[in-house]
Amino acid sequence: MQRILNALVQFRNPILYLVLLGFSLLFLNSRSSFHQSQLEKYGLYVSQSLYGVSHRIGSYFQLKKINEKLLQENQTLKELELKSKGIPLYQNALKVNRRFPFQVKAAHVIKNSFLNQQNFLIIDKGSENGIKEEMAVITDRGIIGIVKSVSDHYASVISILNQDLKINVRLKNSAAFGTLSWKGKNPIDFQVEDIVMNAVLEKGDTLITGGMSSYFPMGIPLGKISEFERDVQSGYYTISTELFEDPSQVYYVYVIENLDRQELFELKKELPQ
Amino acid sequence: MNRNILTLMGTFILLVLLQVMLFNKLHLFGFINPMVYLFFIISYRFDSDQTLFIFLSFILGFTIDFLSQSGGAHSISALTIAFLRPVLIRNAFGVTAEIPTNFHNDSRTLNKTIFLAILIGIHHLLYFTFVFFNWNALYLILKNALLTSVISLTLIALLSSLYKKLNDS
Repeated sequence: MQRILNALVQFRNPILYLVLLGFSLLFLNSRSSFHQSQLEKYGLYVSQSLYGVSHRIGSYFQLKKINEKLLQENQTLKELELKSKGIPLYQNALKVNRRFPFQVKAAHVIKNSFLNQQNFLIIDKGSENGIKEEMAVITDRGIIGIVKSVSDHYASVISILNQDLKINVRLKNSAAFGTLSWKGKNPIDFQVEDIVMNAVLEKGDTLITGGMSSYFPMGIPLGKISEFERDVQSGYYTISTELFEDPSQVYYVYVIENLDRQELFELKKELPQ
Repeated sequence: MNRNILTLMGTFILLVLLQVMLFNKLHLFGFINPMVYLFFIISYRFDSDQTLFIFLSFILGFTIDFLSQSGGAHSISALTIAFLRPVLIRNAFGVTAEIPTNFHNDSRTLNKTIFLAILIGIHHLLYFTFVFFNWNALYLILKNALLTSVISLTLIALLSSLYKKLNDS
C-alpha cells in the first residue's frame, strides 16, 4: 500500500496530466458535435482495425476446422451435383422420382504416388467408415481412381495414373464414348481410344465420365481434348487429353458408392460372354 | 508570499479577460488571433510546485474555452504545454547550466527566445490540430500554427519586457 502511495506521489504530475487530458477530451466531445463525430470516426477506425486483426488471427487458427466443415458441405453438394449431371442417363419423362443410386463420402489422401507405371493411393477412411472395395474415388475436378482393398481405417486406391485402369468416358456435347487411359508420363496427359470416326470432334471439347462402368456416375468432368488424329485404317480417333485435376496433387477426395452395383453385377453375369 | 499569490491571481484574471475580450476578436489579417494567455505559463516561477502549475494551466485553458465557446482545444494544449515545460526549460537553457528561477529575470536572450518559440510552437500546433481535427486540413493547421505563433511570440516578448520594466522600477 505504502509503495502504491509512493508511486502515486512520485508520478503525480503525469497522472494529473492524463486525468485532466481525459477530462478535456470529454469536454471537447460534449461541447462540439463536429469533434464528437470525428472522435467517433477515429474510435470506429481503431476498433475496426483491432477487430480485423483479432478476426484474422482467429480465422487462421480455425482454418482447419472450417475446411473440414466445408468438406462435409461439399460432400452433400457433390451428391446433388452428380445427381443433376446424371439426368440424361436416368431421365424419366413421366416425372416420377428419379433414383440416384450413388452416395458420397469425404476422405483425405495420406499417400500418393505418380512416378511408377502402376500407381496407388491410400486414403484415411476404411471399412469402419463404410468404404468397400471397387468404390470410385473422385475430386471436385475429376476422378482419381478405384478402391482396391480396404482395412479398418484405411483403403488403398488404384490411381488413374495406372496403365491398367481404363475409364469409360464420353464427350459432353455428343454421346460418342471411348476409353480413357494414362499415357504413362506426365500425370495430366491421357489418351482416349475407341471413339468412332463418325463422331464430330473439336479441340477443346470437354470429356465427362460415361456412366457405363457402374463405378462412376455419368457426367463428372474430366478434361479437355488437346489434340486428336484420325486413324483411317482402324476407323477410330486417337485423342490426347489434358485432365482438369492433377492426380499427383490431391488431398481432399470423395468416395462414391454405387448402391445398385450388386444388382448390375448379377445382371451382367447372366449375359453371354 | 501573499503578494506573490495575489500577483499570480491578478495576472491570471487579467490574461483571461484580455484573451477573451480582446485577442480572440482581433482577427488579424482575417484569421490570426494571438494567444497571449500563454504569458501566464511562461512567467510562472520555474522553481514552484509543478503539480499546482499543471492544474492552474488546465484551469486557465478551461476558463478560456468556457468563455470563448471553443471546444476543449485551449485546455488540452495549455495542459500539455504545462506538463512539458520542465523538459523544454532543460532543453532551452541547457541541462548543466544554471536554470533561472524566473523567465523574466534571465538575461540570455537567445535561450529565452528558443524557449518561447518551442513552447508557443507546440501549443499552437496542438491547438489548431484539435480545432480542425482532420488530417485533410493539415495544410491549414500548419499555416495557422506558424503564422499565429509568430504574432503570439512577438506579443509575449513585448509583454515580458514590459513586465520586467514594471518589476524593476
